[in-house]
Amino acid sequence: MKKILLSAYLVFAFVLTGLAQAAPNLEINTPAINALKSSMQKRHNQLAPHYQSGAVGLTKNGMIAIRDAKAVPLKHRQGINQLVAAENADRGKLYKEIAVANGHPEWESGIRDSFAGRWIDKAKSGWYFQGKGGWVKK
Amino acid sequence: MLRGKTIKLICKTWSALLLLLLSHMAHAVSTIEISVESVDSPVGQLKDAKFHVDLKGKKPKLKLSAAVKPQNEPNFMPFKLSCGTLFSEQVGYIDCFDGQLESEIIQAPFSLHIAKLRDQFSLDVLFNGADFSDAAGLHAGDGLIGDLQLTAKRAGALWQWDGKLSWDQGEVFWQPYYFGDAGNVLEAKGAFTEELIKVEEASLKVKTVGEIKAAAQINTKTKVLEDVKVSAKDVDFNGLYTLVLKPKLERSAFGNLLVSGKANWQFEMQQLQPTSFELNLENANIQDQNGKFSFKQMNAHIPWDYDVPQNISLDYASGFLLDMPLGKTKLNAEVNRYALTAPTLTLPVFNGALNFKEVSAAWLGENWFWHLRMNLTPVDLNQFSKALGWPEMKGQISGEVPLVTYANKQLNMDGAMTFNMFNGKVGMNNLRIDDPLGVVPKLYADLTVRNLDLGELTRTYSFGAIEGQLDGDVKDLVLENWKVVQFDASLETNENEQRKKISQRAVENIASLGGQGTAAALQRTFLRFFDEFNYEKIGISCQLRQDVCNMGGVASTEGGYIIVKGSGIPAVNVNGYTKKVSLSDLIARIKRITDRNTEVIVE
Repeated sequence: MKKILLSAYLVFAFVLTGLAQAAPNLEINTPAINALKSSMQKRHNQLAPHYQSGAVGLTKNGMIAIRDAKAVPLKHRQGINQLVAAENADRGKLYKEIAVANGHPEWESGIRDSFAGRWIDKAKSGWYFQGKGGWVKK
Repeated sequence: MLRGKTIKLICKTWSALLLLLLSHMAHAVSTIEISVESVDSPVGQLKDAKFHVDLKGKKPKLKLSAAVKPQNEPNFMPFKLSCGTLFSEQVGYIDCFDGQLESEIIQAPFSLHIAKLRDQFSLDVLFNGADFSDAAGLHAGDGLIGDLQLTAKRAGALWQWDGKLSWDQGEVFWQPYYFGDAGNVLEAKGAFTEELIKVEEASLKVKTVGEIKAAAQINTKTKVLEDVKVSAKDVDFNGLYTLVLKPKLERSAFGNLLVSGKANWQFEMQQLQPTSFELNLENANIQDQNGKFSFKQMNAHIPWDYDVPQNISLDYASGFLLDMPLGKTKLNAEVNRYALTAPTLTLPVFNGALNFKEVSAAWLGENWFWHLRMNLTPVDLNQFSKALGWPEMKGQISGEVPLVTYANKQLNMDGAMTFNMFNGKVGMNNLRIDDPLGVVPKLYADLTVRNLDLGELTRTYSFGAIEGQLDGDVKDLVLENWKVVQFDASLETNENEQRKKISQRAVENIASLGGQGTAAALQRTFLRFFDEFNYEKIGISCQLRQDVCNMGGVASTEGGYIIVKGSGIPAVNVNGYTKKVSLSDLIARIKRITDRNTEVIVE
């Protein structure tokens, strides 16, 4: 009986804390978030052709990865590593800063998951993203 | 084996194969087919080879399919080779025209001439639109049109070789290097044994750079470059940076530069360890494409040696770092293996200078760790505030910082920098800057404000005159991307100044900061006839979190706080009622006031 009561209490507690935790504001702005977004926006023009060619795809965890280096023109093949690394560094910082701006640094991984879904939703047709069984063409 | 006019053979060795092939070509046979199960040689293995020589017509044709496995490679790779026209009129000489080599990694139309005599070998291949790529795409060429010439002579166990590779069209990526413009020539000579390939004199003429010379030793078993010497004299710095330096610097602050000028560069490596390096720049311009820094007319002599300490020197005519303009500068330091030291480094900025003393730095685990003392030859605050896009200020910045450290992209200062401004002082303590050259630089500091002359301050900003002196503290100041996001500030007039006066206009302006109403109320009463009022205290506090300022004054009232506490008759109090104010709104209001008050009104 005690166990049942305890379980009921735990469920109740979870529901309550769940209700108390407001959803994160993903649109929140701070100078850090603005700087990261503008840095990513500038980089997007360079990355867009690589998304389109399938050279770079969107990963499950809200990052990007090189899917097929051979799809990158030889001229840009060295730069692509740097481009992807810089984009991922900005993305990682963005998720962290949004969590901090929401006053909940511990929300970082949830925010990352929300963004991962958003990026894939926003991806143009023909771009690749990581599905359950590997790369999927949208 | 002989069936009609077709000869079919199965061979076990290369020499038997070649001999048979050549001896039968002269006979009246229409087709020769040769199968080779497997052939071993010092350079690799060949298996499942099928030769098909068609001797019908005037021009013999060759088709070959096989799988090849170079020494130390794990897998066999199938390939096909064909010659539209095959000549071999003399033993040891083969010409193949309209050739085509096809495999997973290469597609190459070619023509070739081979001469193989007992102790001599020569090869001349013209390739016409060749493409190649390894599985990962890290070594690849596209649309190559050019020529490869190779000759080798045997001297005992040693082969002396001499080669030239040139291409007129096409591009090559050989990680991490990219050769985009054609017109490049690689000439090399050396020696070859079973264990070692020696490259004694290599010269790579790259159209965009100039001539790069190299020597190297390659272990054929381990495929390791054992000793390498590379030098490039009087080459184009932009070409050298783009081709050689940029790929190695991509993750550093120097990975995205626009450069020009002349350069000398050399590099030596033994057993995969760098042993010496030298970079000399002449009249170079360097500009960071992310806008963080730039140097004009730079000359640099940067030698480095694993065993012997070297002196490096660097000078530039002008430049900027972040938004700070840099004057003509000359720097000298000693570099001893992975450590750099300099007794003094002086960086002229504005009309003053940053003087670094007892500078020491170490390169550990791919990161620089800096450690120094600093003082400031006073810098004009007017220029400084303008350069940083701050409100214009008058005064000087000076300071003495006993210890500055920079490690893991974090700059720390132990000690105070003093801003002498408005006849008072603003001290900056506990300064820390995270990732100063990154996307999101963050600055942390505490400020102390002492004896700021309000008369001077309000005249500068046309706020309406206030006489008095201001003290205060700004604790836990945080800037993100150089924009304020947090502080706990409290500023109050002190008791030093006897003449504590506030003008009617200043009262109105302070009142209007709190919103509409108070200023208008002032205008409706008899108080409008007074030009100035006495005050006991003026003070304001703000706890800023992101954009929200939690406001306070010299004292609290029911439902608000007192900003100006009047004294004497008539006494004017200015109260604030809004506790939470948006900082950007507040700044916009101050800006409106100071802008409006500077307008010239002609009546």
